[in-house]
Amino acid sequence: MNMNDTYMPTIIGFLCNWCSYTGADLAGTARMKIPASLRVVRVMCSGRIDPLFVLKGFLKGADGIMMMGCHPGDCHYQKGNYNARRRFVMLQNIFESLGLEKERIGLWWVSASEAPKYAQVTKEFAEKVKELGPNPLREEIFL
Amino acid sequence: MVNGDVKREETPMNSAQDMKNRNSLKGKIVLVDGENRKTIIDLMKQLLEKKCLDAILVPSQVPDTDSYTWLLVQEGSLLDLCDPLPPVMTVQGGKALSSLTKHGEMEANIGALMRPCEIEAVVELHKLKQIDLDHIILFSIDCPGTVPLSDYMRDPQKMAENFKESIKKWGESESLRPICQICDRFSLFPFAPSSPKSSLSQGGADLPASDIHIGLLGGNDEKIFLWPVTQRGKDLLKKLDLSVHDNLEVWESKVEEVREEKLKKRTAFHDEWSTKIKGVDNFAAIFDECINCHNCMEACPVCYCQQCYFDSQLLTLTPEAYLERAQKRGSLRFPLDTLLFHIGRMSHMALSCVSCGACEDACPMSIPVAQVFTAVGDQVQDYFKYVPGREKEESPPLQIFLEDEFGDVETPGDGLETSHGEAKENV
Amino acid sequence: MSDAIKINKGIEEAVQDLLKSLLEKDKIKGVFTLRKMDDLGAVAYSLFTNADELKNALPLYPFMPVNAGKVLSDFTLQGATQEPVAAVLRPCEIRAFIELVKRTQGDLENILLISSTCGGVYPLKILKGNDQKSRQAQYWESVKKEDIDPELRETCRMCEDFIPHNADMVIAAAGIEDMDTQCTIYLNTQKGKEFASDVPGSKTSEELEGGKIEELKTKRQEQKAKIFEQFEKEQMGLKSLVKMFAPCLGCHGCSHVCPICYCTLCEFDSKTCEYRPTSIESELKLKGGLKVPPGNIYFHLGRMSHMAVSCVSCGMCSDVCPVNIPVATVFSRVGAPLQEVFEYIPGRDLEEAVPSGTYKEQEFMESGK
Repeated sequence: MNMNDTYMPTIIGFLCNWCSYTGADLAGTARMKIPASLRVVRVMCSGRIDPLFVLKGFLKGADGIMMMGCHPGDCHYQKGNYNARRRFVMLQNIFESLGLEKERIGLWWVSASEAPKYAQVTKEFAEKVKELGPNPLREEIFL
Repeated sequence: MVNGDVKREETPMNSAQDMKNRNSLKGKIVLVDGENRKTIIDLMKQLLEKKCLDAILVPSQVPDTDSYTWLLVQEGSLLDLCDPLPPVMTVQGGKALSSLTKHGEMEANIGALMRPCEIEAVVELHKLKQIDLDHIILFSIDCPGTVPLSDYMRDPQKMAENFKESIKKWGESESLRPICQICDRFSLFPFAPSSPKSSLSQGGADLPASDIHIGLLGGNDEKIFLWPVTQRGKDLLKKLDLSVHDNLEVWESKVEEVREEKLKKRTAFHDEWSTKIKGVDNFAAIFDECINCHNCMEACPVCYCQQCYFDSQLLTLTPEAYLERAQKRGSLRFPLDTLLFHIGRMSHMALSCVSCGACEDACPMSIPVAQVFTAVGDQVQDYFKYVPGREKEESPPLQIFLEDEFGDVETPGDGLETSHGEAKENV
Repeated sequence: MSDAIKINKGIEEAVQDLLKSLLEKDKIKGVFTLRKMDDLGAVAYSLFTNADELKNALPLYPFMPVNAGKVLSDFTLQGATQEPVAAVLRPCEIRAFIELVKRTQGDLENILLISSTCGGVYPLKILKGNDQKSRQAQYWESVKKEDIDPELRETCRMCEDFIPHNADMVIAAAGIEDMDTQCTIYLNTQKGKEFASDVPGSKTSEELEGGKIEELKTKRQEQKAKIFEQFEKEQMGLKSLVKMFAPCLGCHGCSHVCPICYCTLCEFDSKTCEYRPTSIESELKLKGGLKVPPGNIYFHLGRMSHMAVSCVSCGMCSDVCPVNIPVATVFSRVGAPLQEVFEYIPGRDLEEAVPSGTYKEQEFMESGK
């Protein structure tokens, strides 16, 4: 059996309420195709995405984790997405230092009107993660 | 997903009185196939295969390392990593089990294989409502002790070798932890007339809390002894088609023999330590090097508080108050209140101290914490006639009281009648 | 060139004299420094208020029982001290204290910071023993010659930040060959100068950082490169990470002694991190087994995400680990590139905001897509 045919990566998306989640909603209403393996968690602001959320998802075996927020300058709370960006940089940096797969996490800016972008980036990420294969942590017991 | 029909039946199979007049214990003698470890693993595997248990918590080796950890196993093949008697105690078993069952019971039936002191901690935590024992079947095993964690980490291969040697001599080894060398509760023998503890024990029911005990002593690596302590244990063995009609005399007499040796050592230990810890200066000297990391408390199975009083900010003062305190003696040690922490912690948990030694293992400064706590713990436990970890239904002494007790401590020396003659002898 | 005082005594005695004179002249009300606890080597930080008691002080004793940044934080947690108090700290301890002050866990006001060009400290595991005398001699010999004693803490062997930031007075130690007969104390700040106005010793003006200090820096950098290289070879990747943290007991001792981890109730000690029956069952379903207690790697990675950017590499965490995990090396290795990315040196400047608590609009533009 070919692994690639059956393997459906598990992706978790943390979407900010005001932009990305609304964008995702719009994509849905417009019947755009969104990867079925994406599980969306709505947060009020990308600034709410605690690095621990991402770490926990990663360690529990999620194959990919998406952080999404309003474009810089557009944050509903003025600065939440700037904080999110720093946290993302930090996480990526830690992943790199420890030799973990930093390709499995990503940050995107998706506004409320960018349904096509939402559809596109989720599709691209899902494909990329599929190429990476399953997260080895899914099988690891001794964590 | 409840498998099996394990029910909570809390009456032990015999009352203490019956025990005293009993004939030798009945159980099952299993012939060892290869080595003890393998035989025990096979037994566990059968329990999973026959769905007697949904999962079982066992000490395991982490693959490709010298490290040990607890593993909750559902998939039988993982049991190959299990080592029923690892050379070290990593996380105290009571603590491990508590982390699983603290938030209520699972629907699954779970077994747990542990050393006797870990079982005792489980029972204490159960009393403190930190472990839900409803769906837990406890397996205990004869324990020769463990080597100190720091020694093991320094040279795992050599210490593992030493540990193997010490099993042969059953605890008579300098490589073992000091606290293990004086441990008289290394097995689950139902009563021990010579033990000062059991003779004081109020309820008389000096019964172990484990459901099935695995006896190794006297088996000479050729057989192991399975003693079903409770009805649940009996039922479980029945499901494995193991009849429990064998006489366990060989094991019993060997346990008694070793226990006598150990008791002698424990008495000697008390003689030594009672002077070592007496007086503020002596006590303080022991904790001179303490760096206040609270590792001992973190490793302690009985110290279960989410936030310890001694980690809270209730003890902080203003800079002026610190200066004032310093001025009284010329200098003031920081971090503050190291001794208060140790004595305070003692007052919180010494009655429930099971002498497992986890605190001493975790101390980065190699302070003999476990020995101090045992020296004090044994005394207070005797005073309250309390044996931690033996009887599930017994309340911890500080949670109950009698109106008429300990009269002797109220008005010492005024010649009034005391109502607690027995305790008085032990003061 | 900066102002300095020169005392014609051995370094340890000179520092004691300095502290004594400050106390006696009532310029300070107390001083924090290490105190001898017994004759076998045990020491603890103490607040000395009596000049005579200072005979028991060991200001430069090469052990760190706790990071004194934490001690000063305890002292000033409820507010700044009204009376001036001095503290003799190692450079990483001052940096830790500055980081704590940034997090409103302490107050610098009225505290006179005295530090030294630090030769490092030994691991606490060898604190007690009969060989303390010879070890002391060995230590000072290596400090004079700027050799890197292989017995020192790993973080000390590779520390390039041994010149204190923010100290009011700096005792010259590293690379000083005549330290047995004289001692130079640099006065870095106005505060330092004022306090030192009438202490014993002669006033001079000298250069602190020079050839010898640079040499030592280079040596330490080489060590660092070596240690990190070794780390990268052995500890990179998931498998190695699991192996490295396999013996972890989850005692969280590393976080308790960490000066940056100041939270009274740590996220990882809280109920949010405990497993519920449902999550245990789902783990079992997925993997057939579960390590108990779970979450060691989550704890270490999570703690990293909380504090690695402020890690001062003091090495306390490695020292208290009961199972010898090289925690400090990992955190230093992770902290270094992180601090570089944010152009941040923990404890360098009180005015610098902690990277996770601030942002710029125009930065890391390539990170969000």
